[in-house]
Amino acid sequence: MSPLAQTLVVFKKELTDAFRDKRAIYTIFFSAAFGPLIIGFTLNRVADRQRQLEEVKIPVVGIEHAPALVEWLRQQAGVEVIAGPSDPEAAVRDRNEDVVVIVPEDFQKKFRSSSPAQVKIVSDGSRQTARPKINRVRALVGRYSNEIGTMRLVSRGVSPAIATPIQLEDVEVSSAQQRAAMILSFIPMFIVLAAFAGGMQIATDSTAGERERGSLEPLLVNPAPRQAIAAGKWLAASFASMLSVMLTTGLVLAMLRYIPMQEFGIRFRMEPFQIAGMLVALLPMCLLASGIQTYLATFAKSFKEAQSYMGLLIMVPMLPGILSSVYPINSQPWMYPIPILGQHVLSADVLGGKPTPAWAFALAGVSALIVSIVLMQLTTRMLQREKIIFSR
Amino acid sequence: MIRVDNLRKRFGTVTAVDGVSFTAEDGRVTGLLGPNGAGKTTTLRMLYALMRPDEGTIAIDGIDAVAEPQKAQKQLGVLPDVSGLYQRLTAREHIAYYGQLQGLSGQRLHDRIEQLLQLLDMKGIADRRTQGFSHGERTKVALARAVVHDPRNILLDEPTNGLDVMSTRAVRDIIRAFRADGRCVLFSSHVMQEVSALCDTIIVIARGRVVASGTPDELREQTGHQNLEDAFVALSGLEQGAAI
Repeated sequence: MSPLAQTLVVFKKELTDAFRDKRAIYTIFFSAAFGPLIIGFTLNRVADRQRQLEEVKIPVVGIEHAPALVEWLRQQAGVEVIAGPSDPEAAVRDRNEDVVVIVPEDFQKKFRSSSPAQVKIVSDGSRQTARPKINRVRALVGRYSNEIGTMRLVSRGVSPAIATPIQLEDVEVSSAQQRAAMILSFIPMFIVLAAFAGGMQIATDSTAGERERGSLEPLLVNPAPRQAIAAGKWLAASFASMLSVMLTTGLVLAMLRYIPMQEFGIRFRMEPFQIAGMLVALLPMCLLASGIQTYLATFAKSFKEAQSYMGLLIMVPMLPGILSSVYPINSQPWMYPIPILGQHVLSADVLGGKPTPAWAFALAGVSALIVSIVLMQLTTRMLQREKIIFSR
Repeated sequence: MIRVDNLRKRFGTVTAVDGVSFTAEDGRVTGLLGPNGAGKTTTLRMLYALMRPDEGTIAIDGIDAVAEPQKAQKQLGVLPDVSGLYQRLTAREHIAYYGQLQGLSGQRLHDRIEQLLQLLDMKGIADRRTQGFSHGERTKVALARAVVHDPRNILLDEPTNGLDVMSTRAVRDIIRAFRADGRCVLFSSHVMQEVSALCDTIIVIARGRVVASGTPDELREQTGHQNLEDAFVALSGLEQGAAI
């Protein structure tokens, strides 16, 4: 019987065994869903706050002069139109109002004759706090004007695009956007965490657990090379880890689709190509994470001891994540081949829409693969030690 | 057939096995008898090639177990001292797992499992998960998976330890059945009755050395004790030990 077939036998047994452990399954699901849920929740909160900011009361003097404009304003999300004060300039000067819109009597007449109808915005430019509201009102009126203009062009058979030689897109570095970007920067960390959390159960149960319950000795009496046994266990843990990573990645993507990212002024688009690239970068990391866990857990005498190692180990993947929230890590070529950091940087690149060359994925993947094979050899060697086989 | 010559194993300053030699023939039950700590388990561990002897040779059906451990293991069915089970797998899955590792598959594996379930009278528990099995049931599962590949040589480390009467009987019946098939059975025990009830040859081990060997009658003769237990005590030097 070939060692490969024996590896497969061990692999299947460990998975069957693990997937019958309801608690372990819940752990995998919970840890995979944890990150995306937190990110979704906090992003939603930021979006809510942003929406609150956008809710404005606009005092308009001369509502009756422009019923169409007022009606249009009222239909905009978060906009309320109220009657303006009798002396708008005094009201703004005395800071009773941030901004007042004045519609002159001849608005309707000029509007109908397609000549520019005047709308006055009374504001105090020296007041910083009123700025967002003033800008909002200005933008609203501007948008109305544009819409009407476009309709007029269309009704005359002219493409509105002609009248728009330049399309402006605001890239705001406002606080909401920064907050959203920071929250998004945690995604790679959660994905890396999922890799560690997913395989943990199998890695510990199939090694330290096997020792603890006294099933390692009879297992090793079977004429299978230790390498096949170590590999089977490692691959089973890796498989669970990959499931967990795919689940987390899937949830993150679903969530990002659901949350309107443009509200933060973030343009976020995930192409299938990028998703594939991300998985190419991340899946070898599952082999690596499980390799480290299997090695450490084989060293442990008991399930509990192994779990305490796992607890410490999980700090490692969090390191780049925590560091990057303090100082943003810019991806540098030397980072790609460094296990875990490479994957972290790559997934950040992909999520940030930064073009990443194919060799970077390959480099990260190959280096993770090499390190995990080395770890597997070390585990194999450990399984040959009498102290490991017999001490319980 | 198992042939052991001048086996030695040290752990630090303690010599656990100190020049053990013996032969276990096919079609016979050979008992390794000795008090706790005499070196029985260590000897067996070297036989099933999970421990490397510091010195000495082991031949399992002529295969050098030190040089070719896996080849030797193929000839062996082993029930170690501690034989833990996977509590989420059924009895049948346990046997199948080891069978597959031994290279069995398909109909052959299936037939062999049925045969073992029949032989060990465990049809009723075959498809139950082993969590909550009694000690006797667990021993049966461990024994069944150990011999799934139909080995010529069978090593059992204190197989009846802690078993109730019925389970002990079942294990003895199996051992006799193995002998009737012409297999070589080597088992260790510190229980006199166990050994006298089953063994064709007894090897008495004490402090890592073989202190006597032969048929029960030969041992009685050697020591001059009619009672085998007295013979055992005299041979293993337990009287001195008791004074410590």
